[in-house]
Amino acid sequence: MKKIELLLLSIVFITSVNFAQNSKTKAGHTNQNKFKQLKELLPTPNLQRTASGAPGLKYTQQKVDYTMDIILDDTNTRIYGNETITYHNNSDDSLAYLWVQLDQNMRAADSKTPDIQSNSIPNSTSEKRFKKSYIDAAFDGGFKIESVKNLDGTNLSHTVNQTMMRINLDTPLASGEKFQFKIKWWYNINNHRTDGGRSGYEHFSKDGNNNYVIAQFYPRMCVYDNVEGWQNDQFWGRSEFALEFGDFSVNITTPEDHMLGATGILKNEVEVLSRKELKRLEKARTTFDNPVLIRTQDEAEKIEKSKSKKTKTWKFYAENVRDYAFATSRKFIWDAMAVDINGKTVMAYSLYSKEANPLYGDHSTRAVAQTLKTYSKYTFDYPYHKAISVDGQMGMEYPQICFNPGRPDADGTYSDKIKYRMIKVTIHEVGHNFFPMIVNSDERQWTWMDEGLNSYMEMLAELDYDKDFPITRGYPKNIVKYMAGDQSTIAPIMSKGDHVYEFGNNAYGKPATALWILRETIMGKELFDHAFRTYSQRWMFKHPSPADFFRTMEDASGIDLDWFWRGWFFTTDVTDIGIEGVRKFYATNNASKEGIDFIEDNSEGLNITKPTSAKSKYFYEITFNKPGGLVMPIIVEYTYDDGSKEKKTYPAQIWRYNDKKVTKAVHSDKQITKIVIDPDLETADVDLSNNSFPNTNKDQFSKFKTKMKN
Amino acid sequence: MKLKKYFLLLLIIPLLSFSVHKYYLSLTQVNYKETSKSVQIIINVFMDDIETALNKDHNIDLQLSTKKELKNNDIYFENYLRNALQFKINNTSRAFHYVGKEYEGDLVYFYLEIENVSKISSIEVTNKILLKHFDKQENLIKSKVGTTNKSVLLSKEYYKETLTYKN
Repeated sequence: MKKIELLLLSIVFITSVNFAQNSKTKAGHTNQNKFKQLKELLPTPNLQRTASGAPGLKYTQQKVDYTMDIILDDTNTRIYGNETITYHNNSDDSLAYLWVQLDQNMRAADSKTPDIQSNSIPNSTSEKRFKKSYIDAAFDGGFKIESVKNLDGTNLSHTVNQTMMRINLDTPLASGEKFQFKIKWWYNINNHRTDGGRSGYEHFSKDGNNNYVIAQFYPRMCVYDNVEGWQNDQFWGRSEFALEFGDFSVNITTPEDHMLGATGILKNEVEVLSRKELKRLEKARTTFDNPVLIRTQDEAEKIEKSKSKKTKTWKFYAENVRDYAFATSRKFIWDAMAVDINGKTVMAYSLYSKEANPLYGDHSTRAVAQTLKTYSKYTFDYPYHKAISVDGQMGMEYPQICFNPGRPDADGTYSDKIKYRMIKVTIHEVGHNFFPMIVNSDERQWTWMDEGLNSYMEMLAELDYDKDFPITRGYPKNIVKYMAGDQSTIAPIMSKGDHVYEFGNNAYGKPATALWILRETIMGKELFDHAFRTYSQRWMFKHPSPADFFRTMEDASGIDLDWFWRGWFFTTDVTDIGIEGVRKFYATNNASKEGIDFIEDNSEGLNITKPTSAKSKYFYEITFNKPGGLVMPIIVEYTYDDGSKEKKTYPAQIWRYNDKKVTKAVHSDKQITKIVIDPDLETADVDLSNNSFPNTNKDQFSKFKTKMKN
Repeated sequence: MKLKKYFLLLLIIPLLSFSVHKYYLSLTQVNYKETSKSVQIIINVFMDDIETALNKDHNIDLQLSTKKELKNNDIYFENYLRNALQFKINNTSRAFHYVGKEYEGDLVYFYLEIENVSKISSIEVTNKILLKHFDKQENLIKSKVGTTNKSVLLSKEYYKETLTYKN
């Protein structure tokens, strides 16, 4: 022993001498530990946004009220608006100018959105597409602003910059003051079925009718806060909106024979609905088990055959909403059902054309009701009076109303795929009433904050709707293909929505999976649910930022999750944990009877051949390695020689000293026959080939080939 | 080539609006296995889509994954894939061996193999799977050769792409 020590010492000495001769000093480094706190990555807490993740004492938020008169011109597919905006400056700052969003300008002739798309010549195309792409004149979209005026009718100075308009004030708007002005505008409505878009009309050539789903249709105030200042980033067409809350008084004039659904309380239902419809609506308000038809398919079919030249005006009032949208058509069937949210009645509505029936009649309103119930359970009681799902043939959300896809085949039948897709999107879009319509995060900057949280909540509602619901996104195993993909086309979740490559996986799938993992594997349901509810309630009707979410989840649960946010949200790292090797030992009294020696069994595999006189236990030293950059718990399943299994989870913090490799000494009364990491696929491990010992893993292809041979 | 891929991703997403459910999507995983000197290909497509396509093309009723499933239906699948899917490896057309298929949930997995491939510098993929039957069909190709991952999203108008690999 002594000799060895001496030898070791001399080696150390020689190497250090050599080292000293070759280089002066070793370079140091900053804290690279994966468990380092996020302080440098998150904004410094302040009196508006506290270190606990809650809004602070000095938290303020602007308020914007709108009064609008809207006319829909069905003949020319145009919309006209005259709006009065009342802007309340609740901030401590005085504002020299105000910014207004002109989303429709994304479709204007001079829009730069097409210019920033790279494109190339396709391999082939259809006659129709060829004509549309290379021959037809571009659609004349965009706001035609007729006037911007003060209340007294004098012109108000303004500057349009693409999708943004600056209102130039004569004198700055002081803190606590309000400013009122008027905008008169119109625009040509796009056909969203042929030209795309998150609002527009769908034309039915058979009966000559249009279904309108109208949104982002009026000049809307930008958000001003202490995170972005004015959120006046251009609207390129993808990253959605940041909006202030306010009250809306809206009059919408449509052809007299239209049926319409919109954000807000319908103030003149006796003027716009028939006596029969009012009676049915009354019945629906106390019917909790089945949707009640307010306008039947037969009635809608009769109405869609003629076109009234007369008009009528629908009058709405919406309190404390961040946006406004509506849908209207001659073709709409309308059904309604009451939903009990903790003793308060909320109405679930669906508006759909006969082409969407019976799929919508069977499922739409029920899906709306389920969403309101499940989301209310996990966040806060749905505070609005209704939620509408519209057969809009897209998937897009606005306060109290959303536009959804899915139609049956011409013979009225529909496959499970169509059915579940329609229910899934409906739940998702209705769910957006919670995130971001109420928990009002900034989607222009952070898509994931509403899409990710909502995609996670959507899973819970789907499973409540149907316990066998085919969940396609959100389980850890479903994100593996994305996360394991080409790193040059993957962005961290913490990226601006306009800049991410695979939008669906980046802003929906991966954050939803991350939350699922937190709940199921890292935090546990109870702690997660409490923290998630705390976040939702702290920030309802407010503007949360990512830091407010990260901090609240820790603050309310007592779990440090900085390592998780860092890995999953700020990097594109993947989970890959493997078993590098297993050493096995038995214990025996040593020769001098002074202690116990551990004798290694160097044979292959896990079987230990031990002498009869040995101590009763079996000893293993397992080396786990981590080719993946993410730190995650090591979930291990031990199988024993009597067939029993035991699962043990070593928390992620096991990697705190060594990010690449850790060893674990395990002892048991029974022999271990198999060791498997992450047996239930909870961690999105991208490479399962190193997850078991002895390694019997084959790739999918080899497995199939073997199966075919047998 | 990369630009084309980004363009497609950007283009397709606004058209789909914001539910982002790529409902007409197949995935073709192309993996070069050094040890067996073969290109192993796994394709998954939605079962109801491929069934609709083959039923229409051949006026049959496949009844996949049911008790009434048509026997020997591999002939249809193999034929379909030979017409819809071609590979050129290092600029030379290479035929694949149809190993078989299996079902999992609402997906059908096809297993194809191109044998005797000693080195790969490029793979040209022509993938017209389901393009004829579904306007919005997209076919995602993910490939791995050595340590290089390359992927491309193909569609009705862009059904051919060459992926290159450093050696």
